[in-house]
Amino acid sequence: MTIEVRNIVKQYGAFKALDNVDLRVADGELLALLGPSGSGKTSLLRIIAGLDWPDSGEVSFDGENALARGAGERHVGFVFQHYALFRHMSVFENVAFGLRVQPRAVRKSEAQIRARVKELLDLVQLDWLANRYPSQLSGGQRQRIALARALAIEPRILLLDEPFGALDAKVRKELRQWLRTLHEEIHVTSIFVTHDQEEALEVANRVVVMDRGKIEQIGTPGDVYDNPATAFVHSFIGESIVLPVDVSDGQVKLGHRPLNIDAGSASGPSKLFVRRHDMQIGPLGEGALEGTVRRVRTFGPIQRADIALSGDDTLVEIDAPRDRPLTTGDAISLQPRRYRIFAGQE
Amino acid sequence: MTITIINSPVTVERAQSVARQDLHTEPWLVRGIIIGVAVMFLTVFVVLPLILVFSEALSKGVGFYLSALADSEALSAIWLTLITAVISVSLNLVFGVAAAWAVAKFEFRGKTLLVTLIDLPFSVSPVISGLVFVLLFGAQGFFGPWLMAHGINILFAVPAIVLATTFVTFPFVARELIPLMQEQGSQEEEAAISLGASGWRTFIVVTLPNIKWGLLYGVLLCNARAMGEFGAVSVVSGHIRGETNTMPLLVEILYNEYQLVASFAIASLLALLALLTLIAKTILEGQIEEGQLPRDD
Repeated sequence: MTIEVRNIVKQYGAFKALDNVDLRVADGELLALLGPSGSGKTSLLRIIAGLDWPDSGEVSFDGENALARGAGERHVGFVFQHYALFRHMSVFENVAFGLRVQPRAVRKSEAQIRARVKELLDLVQLDWLANRYPSQLSGGQRQRIALARALAIEPRILLLDEPFGALDAKVRKELRQWLRTLHEEIHVTSIFVTHDQEEALEVANRVVVMDRGKIEQIGTPGDVYDNPATAFVHSFIGESIVLPVDVSDGQVKLGHRPLNIDAGSASGPSKLFVRRHDMQIGPLGEGALEGTVRRVRTFGPIQRADIALSGDDTLVEIDAPRDRPLTTGDAISLQPRRYRIFAGQE
Repeated sequence: MTITIINSPVTVERAQSVARQDLHTEPWLVRGIIIGVAVMFLTVFVVLPLILVFSEALSKGVGFYLSALADSEALSAIWLTLITAVISVSLNLVFGVAAAWAVAKFEFRGKTLLVTLIDLPFSVSPVISGLVFVLLFGAQGFFGPWLMAHGINILFAVPAIVLATTFVTFPFVARELIPLMQEQGSQEEEAAISLGASGWRTFIVVTLPNIKWGLLYGVLLCNARAMGEFGAVSVVSGHIRGETNTMPLLVEILYNEYQLVASFAIASLLALLALLTLIAKTILEGQIEEGQLPRDD
């Protein structure tokens, strides 16, 4: 099922949660909505699910207007951050809920419902918990039950709101892997919201980066990491060194110091973004930037160093391979291998 | 040389009391005084009056006690009190759930105002609550002339008693439910809706089971107050014997007429109600706590 979102606007009082958002999700895709809190990603997800309504704009599933239908008629499976399992029902009844509330005409028989629930519990590998209550489960188990419950209605679309947000790091990693595999198995169009870039890059086919109610970039995980479209994306995804620079006549200056790098299309006050591992270290005089090593520590294959840039002593943190060890006090030069310059300095 | 190990109960006890003193910094004298004051207060203000009510009611024997309760005026008062309680508690059950639902699950303008208004019956003297109904439905009141023209009796009749009681007891259910429903949020309802359940079905199978103990608790307190309400009812009832006297009103009338035993007999029923309410309340509190298992996130 394809999802198309056009010109969605959603405002809460003076706060613009979604500002003219357009998005197309292809059939069978696993898409991540990534952004900081308040970026509008959850609002967008809830609007697609029918749990919220936009002030204006359109949402369609396979070309059919979804806004004309209520949440219950959209056949969307929704998984909540805090699971929202029915606390007074057993795990079995939680999963069976969506099947039991179907209109009499299409409702399955009790035997069929039992078989289907068993099948789903097997799918999430928790069939042995059928008679427990949600309060007796661990966080990871609850989330898997919530997923089984959402899948029970054979949703055309699966929406997950920060599905792993409330879990500890280890369980999170396992569930990520598991969600990926599950998606390959059932192949239902899925969107999940996260503020964790690693999660988005690792799990999704495509990542939508949002900030302040707008989509900043849509692309594959590789794309958004390697070719960030905006300064926001560059600083939000992966860690970057950010230096305020001034561009005039194609000449990039840091303070009063000219740098031998290409300005691209930027001009005026701008920001230079370099990934920590994209700084080439060389002897003095052979790079764009110069500085002194202040502190070095090593993490497995890399060494991380604090460099005080000459001039105003700005501290930057760089990652370098360990083949050429740095020592505190070394005067070195730095040449950005890959970098981006974005106009504006806010 | 022999070594005697003394391990008498006294030393053990002393050691324990020392350890206990470390945990509770107050010396036993202070604790004793505080506990003593509390026990004395409870005895004088709660236990003693309760005993007195029952002993006074039974002072002329069980036969007299029962005949006092079987008196036609007493029976009519008991009947009226029950009717009033049933109607006003049912009304407040509906109002309370609706108000709590609105406050807990929706965002809208004037929400704070609504919450304040729900509390109003608690902050206003019951006498004023009664007077308001006199001003509304009395002969010189706002609706008075119209009601009179259509031959409808509200004031000094059962409807006014029910209205006044409903007003005074309105906050109990709503106040019990609002924090409970706010704490539970609306995600379970949203989950049910997105799984295809209708609004009504969601309420019956998801919301209601989640709030049942709190709801019962609110109803219980509401009922106790509805049966015991004096001030507001006194203003609107008109004290027509055998017709518009509730149990608390009858207690006062009998007392003023020096029919002490009869008065205390009725009072003993109200006291019994209070005791039953207290027991039920304690049981319910346990249930509510059990129902709110910590959410491990």
